[in-house]
Amino acid sequence: MSEETGAGERFAIGISFGNSSSSIAFTGPDGKAEVIANEEGDRQIPSILSYVDSEEFHGTQAKAQLVRNSKNTVGYFRDYLGKDFKSIDPTPAHQSAHPQQHESTVAFTIRDTDAETPSTVTVSEITTRHLRRLKQSASDFLGKTVNAAVITVPTNFSDAQREALVAAAKNADIEALQLIHEPVAALLAYDARPDAVVEDKLVVIADFGGIRSDVAVVASRGGMYSVLATVHDYELGGANLDQVVIDHFAKEFIKKHKVDPREDARGLAKLKLEGEATKKALSIGTNATLSIESLVNGIDYGSTINRTRYELLSGKIFSQFTGLVESAVKKAELDVLDIDEVILAGGTSHTPKIARLLQNVFPEKTKVLAPSTTPSAINPSELSARGAAYQASLIQEFDKEDIEQSLHPMVTVTPHLSKTIGVQLVSADENAEDAVFAPLVNAETALPARRVAQYTVPKEGGDVLVRISEGEREIKVTKPEPKPKAEKSEKDEEDSDSDSDFDSDEDEEEETREIIWKSTKTIAEAAIKGVKAGGKVEVTININPDLGLQITAREVGGKGGVRLAVEAPQASANGSA
Amino acid sequence: PPLPAGWSAEKDYKVLSSLTSAVQRNIEPVGPHFLAHARRKRHNRTFSEDERI
Repeated sequence: MSEETGAGERFAIGISFGNSSSSIAFTGPDGKAEVIANEEGDRQIPSILSYVDSEEFHGTQAKAQLVRNSKNTVGYFRDYLGKDFKSIDPTPAHQSAHPQQHESTVAFTIRDTDAETPSTVTVSEITTRHLRRLKQSASDFLGKTVNAAVITVPTNFSDAQREALVAAAKNADIEALQLIHEPVAALLAYDARPDAVVEDKLVVIADFGGIRSDVAVVASRGGMYSVLATVHDYELGGANLDQVVIDHFAKEFIKKHKVDPREDARGLAKLKLEGEATKKALSIGTNATLSIESLVNGIDYGSTINRTRYELLSGKIFSQFTGLVESAVKKAELDVLDIDEVILAGGTSHTPKIARLLQNVFPEKTKVLAPSTTPSAINPSELSARGAAYQASLIQEFDKEDIEQSLHPMVTVTPHLSKTIGVQLVSADENAEDAVFAPLVNAETALPARRVAQYTVPKEGGDVLVRISEGEREIKVTKPEPKPKAEKSEKDEEDSDSDSDFDSDEDEEEETREIIWKSTKTIAEAAIKGVKAGGKVEVTININPDLGLQITAREVGGKGGVRLAVEAPQASANGSA
Repeated sequence: PPLPAGWSAEKDYKVLSSLTSAVQRNIEPVGPHFLAHARRKRHNRTFSEDERI
């Protein structure tokens, strides 16, 4: 199956390229993706470049330069790539080199050479330099020159942005084999684990980053992924939480010394740097310290904060995160009950409280994959890089032409089942409508598809009727019977202005809600005669892209069985392409 | 589930209707299962043909 003798010498890694930080990962011979640390030992490498005396600093070292050398330091540039100046939001770059208009693109004016006059460097060039450093770090670690990569991008990255990224990578001598979407990469990172089982599931991937957050709802069917809905928030991210920590300490500082360190550019830069570190410490421990030398006016400052306090102060922001997830589920026209898994990705997902709040939003059976809720969870910061590395290992042997052909819309645009198909186990005495409907092929399954399932027949055996039908899920709401004293009105946690106690989510779910399957249209019926007592019936369904289907029903271990074919529906006006 | 009395059909099955029309969506070109799907689609193979190779 694997093409060992593929294209020439290609050595590919996975790169997750973020506004705040980037990661590099590779897949070893054992098929396990591994995130590579750079020479400073960082796995999350800040996407920052800084220039001091014509020397280039990268990553954490460059980040430290935000305090003393902010004008020659470039950060938060990923989202500027391939955009024109008018459409960008320069706020995140406020503390570093400012973006400015340069011809049709965005550029920064920095002193990156010995020359007297600062030079204008386009965002593409900055990206190239950043990718070159990442490539160098990976090459050094692996002892082999990296010349290709799979790079992750947000789902709403425009074609112009994609092209600009591929071009920037090319200038860094990296062949961008494929750009894959961040949420899908995160999902792939989980599904590529050796112990993972391919199953049909609806997954919400919440990517909480530094300066933006993205949530995607993805249908995973037979190992293939279809994005159902995405939401983006460009004003929500870890930076908001940093601000909470900064404000807390700044207020404490003012009380003591009567000066606001936030009004001093350098003081603010120092607070930002240390505040972020304190916030990260609070994700691991229940107490964290902050100490800054000469914060402002030469005053040293040190203090501590505990997690409870921090969570109290961040309550509003936490509920924005959960609100974003809920809005994505709503946008996909789904209910939280439909969701099987929630994958938390991005650095901010380390926050234990966010994972716990999301657990309250979703029913108990929904798995919330985050370090604080699932011990086997993968580090949220590493997910997309790992997914990219895995994809890179899958396609690096392919010819360029092969990859391009596979990405063509002819291949990726596929009919998806609009209704769930299931098997109804019909019994004689029961009303046929009430018969239990068991989903077999879920809605949103890409076609063609094939599914097999076994069903137990009644103890006594005998003749069995298998009815294949389409079904819909309904949500049955059962109000609690006994005295609803002081009935709580359904309140929207968005506008509960009282300093939001977290319990509001729990109070809301007074009634029990459950999923009920209802069959809507019978497709075919088949009779299987003389099934042994305690036997099982196996049903196989094959669906073609034109919606024709073949069904086989037979007794397990028995011979023959019933085979039937259902014609494809008459091609309607919007028939399948 | 026993067969209801009086149910009969030629060759023991009957087809009552066809499926509701499908929706066109983009699948994410990622992962081993997609690559297998792409291979089938590019060579116009079915599942069983693919397995035989």
